[in-house]
Amino acid sequence: MTSKEPLVSNTKCECGHQNPVGTVLCEACGKPLDEKELGAEGNLEMRYDGVARRSQRVNPGLIDRVWNFFSSVKIAIYLIVLTLLGSMLGTIFPQESTFLNIDASTYYKETYGRAGNIYYKLGLSHTYESWWFVTLLVMIGASLVICSLDRVLPLYKALTRQKVRKHRQFLTRQKAVLVTPLTAEPEAWVAGLIEPLKKKGYRVKIDGSALLAEKHRFSRWGPYVIHIGLIIFLLAVLARGLPGLNMDQHLAFQQGEATRIPDTTYYLKNEQFTVEFYSDEEMPEEFRGKKVLPKLYETKAVLYECTADCTDPSREPQLSEVTSHDIRVNSPLSYKGLKAYQFDYDLTPVLRSVQPVLVNTATGEGYSKFRLDMKNPERTFQSGPYTLSLKEKYMDFGLNDEGQPASKSPYPNAPAFLFLITGPGLPEEGQQYFYFPKQLDKEQFQQQAINDRLGGSGRFLELEVQDMSDVDFAASTSYLNIRIDRAMPFVWVGAGIVMLGLILGFYWQHRRIWLRVEDGELVLGGHTNKNWFGFRREIVAILQKVDLIVDEKSLDNGGGLA
Amino acid sequence: MSLLDFSSDVFIVAFFLYSGAFMLYTIAIMGRRWSGRKPEEHTARFGKIAFIASSLGLICHFAYFITRWMGSGHIPVSNMYEFMTFLSMMIMVAFTVIFAIYRKIILGVFAVPVSIIVMAYAAVFPQEVQPLIPSLKSIYLNIHVTLAALGESFFAVGFAAGLMYLLRTVNFDSTARSDRKQQRLVEFTLFSIIVIIGFLGSVFAFRGAGYESVFVRSDVTIDSAGQGDSTIEKVSYKMPPIVAPYQSETEHFQPFLGIKEPLFEAPSWMNGVNAGRKFNTVIWSLLSGLILYGILRLIIRKPLGKAIHPVLDGIDENDLDEITYRAIAIGFPIFTLGALIFAMIWAQIAWGRFWGWDPKEVWALVTWLFYSAYLHLRLARGWQGRRSAWLAVLGFLVVMFTLVGVNLVIAGLHSYAGTD
Repeated sequence: MTSKEPLVSNTKCECGHQNPVGTVLCEACGKPLDEKELGAEGNLEMRYDGVARRSQRVNPGLIDRVWNFFSSVKIAIYLIVLTLLGSMLGTIFPQESTFLNIDASTYYKETYGRAGNIYYKLGLSHTYESWWFVTLLVMIGASLVICSLDRVLPLYKALTRQKVRKHRQFLTRQKAVLVTPLTAEPEAWVAGLIEPLKKKGYRVKIDGSALLAEKHRFSRWGPYVIHIGLIIFLLAVLARGLPGLNMDQHLAFQQGEATRIPDTTYYLKNEQFTVEFYSDEEMPEEFRGKKVLPKLYETKAVLYECTADCTDPSREPQLSEVTSHDIRVNSPLSYKGLKAYQFDYDLTPVLRSVQPVLVNTATGEGYSKFRLDMKNPERTFQSGPYTLSLKEKYMDFGLNDEGQPASKSPYPNAPAFLFLITGPGLPEEGQQYFYFPKQLDKEQFQQQAINDRLGGSGRFLELEVQDMSDVDFAASTSYLNIRIDRAMPFVWVGAGIVMLGLILGFYWQHRRIWLRVEDGELVLGGHTNKNWFGFRREIVAILQKVDLIVDEKSLDNGGGLA
Repeated sequence: MSLLDFSSDVFIVAFFLYSGAFMLYTIAIMGRRWSGRKPEEHTARFGKIAFIASSLGLICHFAYFITRWMGSGHIPVSNMYEFMTFLSMMIMVAFTVIFAIYRKIILGVFAVPVSIIVMAYAAVFPQEVQPLIPSLKSIYLNIHVTLAALGESFFAVGFAAGLMYLLRTVNFDSTARSDRKQQRLVEFTLFSIIVIIGFLGSVFAFRGAGYESVFVRSDVTIDSAGQGDSTIEKVSYKMPPIVAPYQSETEHFQPFLGIKEPLFEAPSWMNGVNAGRKFNTVIWSLLSGLILYGILRLIIRKPLGKAIHPVLDGIDENDLDEITYRAIAIGFPIFTLGALIFAMIWAQIAWGRFWGWDPKEVWALVTWLFYSAYLHLRLARGWQGRRSAWLAVLGFLVVMFTLVGVNLVIAGLHSYAGTD
């Protein structure tokens, strides 16, 4: 075998155990194998009990090199620190994602000047979606997997086949050490320790005059459990990007109207939206008359599922109620993975329908009423002897870049309708008529002038609403955030496992005590992965039970500093 | 007397008990040389009295918390005042836990003042009970905020112990380059704490004197429809304006020490009138911190670190290292649960997304990553002791930035925890 590290080339221990390359402490007796270690003073390196890891193979190939890279704790720390610094950079200016409609290429320059422009140019305005940040997260994921696998298997092997009798040097170079003369009969004295150790929760193994006591080994798996949880968490977060697992849309729901949720078979009806503010009596004196604090936003919502005629536009869809909920902030509607969150509201009344009549301006005669829905109007209407057929509909009337009429948005802010009227006294091909149901729009867009141009001077028909009861408004609009997120359960499972691992790893400690009595001398070594203070105190208490009085501090072998 | 009145009274009692306890802890340690008794006996005796005093303070603090909760009808952690008072209470809880494990009287000399400073900082904010806005009406307000604060409090105790480790181990007599560097860094850390005390001192001094000056700034913005929109912003300075907001008019100026107008104007990149006011506060804090530091140096005639160093004589540095690590190790899972996991659960319920890269969320993550790096570094050789202690000190700076700095400097969804 040709090794680059001649120091570890001879891996056979004097106790006869053949160790793999990279072993620091003999797997069987714990004697330091590394000759540098062997000659040295001070504490032993007890990480992973000194066993060899996969990453310590000789003659690494490409895969081994990648493995070795990610298995290094040092690399993991670099990755953590880089992610930390990257995250910090992203908070200097608000991220693009915090705005609904901005032009990022000009916004940062205009708002934050040159620094803002540099920030944008560097791509920091979308730090958390940038390739380098996502790469860092993926690398952390790789590091989590490989670091854990590299260590947990050897450690598991080492801890399940521990030998009771360890090399003297293994004992004397622990951080808690006691070497003291002992005249008692070795085996009997060691046996006397079993009871006090068991009372403290230790599991005890005896090999003649040598003893191994161990407790809370499970705590050693804490870090690996944390890492498994983090991997599940990260995978779940990645999975949210897959199509079909995730839906996120902001929709407007007018009061009293069942509105379809796109890409689903569901309809949601906002039966009543309420906003309440704190009254002066409920506010501290300092705020009265100065501040307005909201108390409640609530949408009484009913969710329907479409059972038939869902896609046929000529028919009313058949809806059946599946659930209802009073949606508030902190209390979303939830049904089979679909959630509806209170997001925003608008108290401006929205026109829903009008019932105008056709009036002959020459005679003053009015014909019959018909119902004109803003959202889904019928195609033809009848008013007296006249037939009105709907040619065009604009929800939010305006002119586009070419000066043509167009709808600026799908919301009925300024509805407008173009009819073709046919009937007595009108030309054969009919007469065009523009109708703005809102009085304000009639004036702003000059309905009169438009129609005069369309119908010529002999025009004698007007559409009029004769009574306010013929106008139907939705009192308010509630904006809901509709979400489906099928990966969420995995996110929570991952987080739960992380938490479990944290508790195992941090609130218990793996404690081990080795001792051997030989030649009238007791040699005791102790190891724990944290809380040496409590551990030393425990050893002292146990030894006290067999009338061996030791000072806590004298156990401390911490590099000779104490 | 109403519950809320009782609440604020008992809060003040807690404050004085803590201050008394701090003095007793100090006497227990400093007095061991010149009390007639054996040093150990003296320390044990006064340490016990000090612990009783600080525990009584904690009981009063709890009484404040419970009565304010009853009086206001919701858990008092909903604004900056309430959060800071709660944080200071949790720091005392964390201190008591660590003290119960390690029984190191000296910890009281360093951890209790951290709590006192946070408590005093709370008093900077308006103290009225505010009704809850809809987004805060959730059981997760109780869980998320309290657990996050508890976790952070253990980090605060880790900070105190880390600082003690440094004060204990840095060689203050050496003139070697590396030692000089350590001395200067420790001195800078202590100076920063004094600046915070200077900030608190100037806030309360000017508030006591009823100082106020007012600036107005009118802003004309042109909206997309081409219509000019003029907004008038008004800002009231509670400290004499050294610096005025960028492009502002003086509405009312109360002269201070013969100064009748601001000395200069904030630079243009400090947008908004509040940026100017905050800048002014920073200047005052530095100024009063410098004065305070100067006076202290004049009295003791040596660097503060060197002066405090002998207090820690005879304390085992390995114990301090272990206390630092242990405090952080206890706090870390609590912090993870409170500041990240419950934060995500709440965010999912309130906003429909468990994570949105809001500045506060990011900084909670930064804190978590920082302490993760700390815990991993503890595995490496050469990172116990000195370096680890520095990380514990730095880590608390990250925590405080997350709690205070983010609100002051970066606005985000957590803006209701407003800082004024």
